[in-house]
Amino acid sequence: MSDIAQIHSTPDSEGSDAEPEEPRRRFELEETGFKEVPKRWRKFYRHWKGEGDSLGPNEVICPVCKVVIRSTREFRPGDRVYCMPCMSRMVVVRSDDGSLEAKVTY
Amino acid sequence: MQLVAGERCALAASSGLVNLAPDYPSKHFLATQTLDEARHVEIFTQRLFDLGVAKEDLESTIDRYANPNLVKFAEVLLEKVSDGDFIAGVVGQNIVLEGMAFTVFELLEATSRDLNPKFAQTLSGTIADERRHVGFGENRIGSLISEHPEKKPEIEKMQQEMSYYMLATFADVFSASGESIDEGRKLAAQQGADSLSTEWHGADLETATIEEIEGVLADTVLGEFKNRLGRIGIEYQSPSVPA
Repeated sequence: MSDIAQIHSTPDSEGSDAEPEEPRRRFELEETGFKEVPKRWRKFYRHWKGEGDSLGPNEVICPVCKVVIRSTREFRPGDRVYCMPCMSRMVVVRSDDGSLEAKVTY
Repeated sequence: MQLVAGERCALAASSGLVNLAPDYPSKHFLATQTLDEARHVEIFTQRLFDLGVAKEDLESTIDRYANPNLVKFAEVLLEKVSDGDFIAGVVGQNIVLEGMAFTVFELLEATSRDLNPKFAQTLSGTIADERRHVGFGENRIGSLISEHPEKKPEIEKMQQEMSYYMLATFADVFSASGESIDEGRKLAAQQGADSLSTEWHGADLETATIEEIEGVLADTVLGEFKNRLGRIGIEYQSPSVPA
């Protein structure tokens, strides 16, 4: 796996201590038609489809450019995420409503 | 017409910011952004030619039809650039102007997807560029603003002023668009309305009134300003509502 892909799915040990230690689910990422990054990285992103769309456990929305970022493993709080379309670095956090969201780190 | 005017402003601002940037990574990025903006000006100008504007009439047509409030919006930004204010210039260009453009292009792309796929394709490419531009704006200024907190009041005032002229531009453009939107809907009905229903930020673009579309656009852009500025430590200032 390349360096950039590793950013998408950091080792379990880097997640929050408060999270359960169940093994992470793994996901096969299919092509999504996202053409804004080189072909090799396209499966890690998809366009948000608006109302009616929903995020999987391995997906977060980039708050800067609104692209959905996808991982081969489910996200956990503390995971670091890189958005190639807008070049933002983020960390996954648990929001007030219990869902996972990406927070930009400057 | 407004797209060309807006992109010309972005081209002037981003090229001016290259020499103001305090570090080489920022200069490199802004140079690539300048090229992006030049390409946007070129493709939107070509669209004017495709729509029948003669080459020799281009400048006079832009002078005549560029919205005066959009021109003032651009002047507020370009004044910061000409004063040599890098931080305010990047906030004005890469967060306020690009944040507005990002949302406006998304709306135009959604409304063009079925009726004008060529234009929608052009807009998709432009949106991809805007993602990088807003990303640079937030990421670079997010760190710079924490080193220069004294800049915040001046930047907040600029954002408020630019937001006012943006809302005034929206009001002018939408109040003059009623007939063309009705025309587009008739054309959509002729081409098979079933495939043309488009939801955008909670509004059904096929049935929403002009006022509703303008309201959704304004709320979405201002909401984005608030979120983006909040993330980099700048307090969003509500603009007064244009008369």
